[in-house]
Amino acid sequence: MSFQRRTFLKLLPATGFLAACSKSSSKIRLALNWKPDPEFGGFYAADFAKHGLDVELLPGGSGTPTVQMIGAGSAEFGIIQADELLLARARGNDVVALYAAFQNCPTAIMAHASRKLETIADLLKSGTLALESGLPFARMLKKKYGFDSVKIVPSPGGDLTTFLNDENFAQQCFLTAEPLQAKRKGVEVKVFPVSDIGYNPYTTVLAVSGELLRKNPELAKNMVTAVREGWRAYLDNPASANQKMHGLNPSMELASFAEIAEAQKPLLETSLLGKMTTERWSTLAAQLLELGDIPKAPPAAECFREL
Amino acid sequence: MAVITAGRLENGGAAVRLHNLRRTFDDLVVINRLTLDIRAGEFLAILGPSGCGKSTLLRLIARLVEPTTGTVEVTPADVKFHTAYVFQDAHLLPWRTVLENTVLPLELMGTDTAESAARARAALAEVGLAEAEVRYPAQLSGGMRMRVSLARALVTQPKLLLLDEPFAALDEITRFRLDIRLRELWLERGMTVIFVTHSITEAAFLADRAVVLTRKGGGIKMDRRLALPEIRRNELRASPEFGREMEALLAAMEEES
Amino acid sequence: MRKVLGRVVPAAIPLVVFMVGMEWLVRVGWIKAFLVPPPSAVFNTLLRDWRELFTALAKTSAGALAGFALGTVGGIAIGVFLSSSRAIQRAFYPYAVFFQTVPIIAIAPLLVIWFGYGMRTVVASAFIVSIFPVIANTLSGLLSTDPALRDLFRLYGASNSATLWKLRFPAALPQILTGLRIAGGLAVIGAIVGEFIGGQGLGSVVDVARTQQRTDKVFAAVLLASALGLALFGFINLLSRVLLRRWHASEQD
Repeated sequence: MSFQRRTFLKLLPATGFLAACSKSSSKIRLALNWKPDPEFGGFYAADFAKHGLDVELLPGGSGTPTVQMIGAGSAEFGIIQADELLLARARGNDVVALYAAFQNCPTAIMAHASRKLETIADLLKSGTLALESGLPFARMLKKKYGFDSVKIVPSPGGDLTTFLNDENFAQQCFLTAEPLQAKRKGVEVKVFPVSDIGYNPYTTVLAVSGELLRKNPELAKNMVTAVREGWRAYLDNPASANQKMHGLNPSMELASFAEIAEAQKPLLETSLLGKMTTERWSTLAAQLLELGDIPKAPPAAECFREL
Repeated sequence: MAVITAGRLENGGAAVRLHNLRRTFDDLVVINRLTLDIRAGEFLAILGPSGCGKSTLLRLIARLVEPTTGTVEVTPADVKFHTAYVFQDAHLLPWRTVLENTVLPLELMGTDTAESAARARAALAEVGLAEAEVRYPAQLSGGMRMRVSLARALVTQPKLLLLDEPFAALDEITRFRLDIRLRELWLERGMTVIFVTHSITEAAFLADRAVVLTRKGGGIKMDRRLALPEIRRNELRASPEFGREMEALLAAMEEES
Repeated sequence: MRKVLGRVVPAAIPLVVFMVGMEWLVRVGWIKAFLVPPPSAVFNTLLRDWRELFTALAKTSAGALAGFALGTVGGIAIGVFLSSSRAIQRAFYPYAVFFQTVPIIAIAPLLVIWFGYGMRTVVASAFIVSIFPVIANTLSGLLSTDPALRDLFRLYGASNSATLWKLRFPAALPQILTGLRIAGGLAVIGAIVGEFIGGQGLGSVVDVARTQQRTDKVFAAVLLASALGLALFGFINLLSRVLLRRWHASEQD
């Protein structure tokens, strides 16, 4: 793949038309799957112009269908989770992953510390649990432990009111977000990362349509480079990007931005920022296959590209 | 001159006295200083050009609207259920049958159901609609609907019957028929009838006495006793005495139009 | 039989054309199946997952109907109350309008806090969304009574209560039924929104299928929700026919 890639890139200058395409001056849209917050820090810190890219970041919210947006062409790039990508490909949506910001999945279940729960299994023995029951991790939990003793309700989508007022209410969360918010509101929580049950998809993954990738690999490569540099910059010094994001999402305090940016570091840092491995993708595909979410497991090589 | 014979007064009519009656709507003076005495049992026609206040006058008599100044006196005094009103359109309740419509005034008065039904049937018979009892207004012609409206007005044995151009929307033959019937009913019952119209022919045919209102301000232009026989048939319309009354009324109307 | 066919066939033709068209467009690749599923996929899903879908439909129906019933009773009652005087209208009507303007998506999470997860939130949501058309149409109908008939009732000394129940309310019935027609469809929407947050019925099916990128299932659920709205609409039309058949122009051939 790598050799073919290099050959292809050598041929590019010979075709002036294609060369012109690769330094496209049209606007590039990057669709985020939540409101601006530290999980997107590197994207806001990136200097896209330096790489000849005119990128517009499109903030999202609850239920923003980024993977469909890529497939429909309403955004050139999007932020998705690795398992979403596998589902999309199974539905005929040709999306490819380029960069995985979160090496480890921050999805977790949080419960009131006062319940003194030891394991996820304990949590599922009583009370109410709010999660997106269609997602693979939820189905995995159900398969492994069963939901007979716990009341399952829909995820409140970032709203902590019910959690704060009900001791027996547990919910899906992002390790770096809701637990810190709850603590600030005076509730101590215990978190159970989903990765503890062996489910660890790459998260906050930059993805592109297979078609665009084939048509303009130069563009994709520049994008990845810019993003990688952006994340490095953000990890070293998040202040200015935090300021920018706070301006776009004023309901979250600046102090929270700093706190979360610090807390999420362990989930992001790795030798080559954003790198992905065949093994991780294969494992994930196998898990989804076992759950019955996809009819067959695609080869990892189809799912991601190292640029 | 119409003669009010003794026998009819057992049902009796109400006498109406209007004294210095005045009615304004904001700045518009509709009735201005009108004084009129209507005898019990009289058939009075009120004529006038459009906009002269005829309808307002009728509504003042019916106590549907209060005078600005002046008085409306009706004798006997307690005439709440003894005044009946017939509008230009039949204004029936479309969701009720003919019988149910006719029964309405008695129903509102609290009369016993069986008695109300019997009286309603009698009233319908008097206007020739006995077979139409179970029909709905939507299934009736304009003339039939007006008859129901008339029956409804008569069902409470009113002492004062007020009609505001009731037959204006009907065709001429139906109109003539209803004119005759109305006059017959008046003769039978002896109630006071006040009939507002802008048709000189109709006024002359129906009434004993005709009042022509002035164009503006509802003053009285002419108050005339009609020298016509008690029993009125269509042949009367071609007679010389009819022509004479018509001429007089026409002259007054023409001056006011 | 012919009469029924005469009504159904003209309406069915555009639908059939549309579905065949959609099927073809997806198969030749003009429309991507993962964005808009072909009708055949939707029907397959309806058949395959029928137990889940119809159980959900039953739940949504219960919630929508309950919300609609409450909205009807409440809406008529409030409409009657508002019609009693100008002063009362001026004082309270603006608050009734609030039912119309409040964005249900925004307050749905609040509903969960007040009513908990489950049917109560669904019913509350359906109620809030569907009540206003009933209020507005009831009020409008009650205020447009023929003035001559009102005079007639006044002439015979009818009480306010008699005038309301014997005249104004029957006269307002056609308009009230129009309000109900609108409210029915809205109640279904309200129920589905309540279910997104409250977690059951077709709303939940849509929400979960969405996270699984099962657009075929989303469409199947939406189809059933539309069928529910249609059934409710049909029921009100039937009611209208029965009540107004003899006397209102709208129900006469």
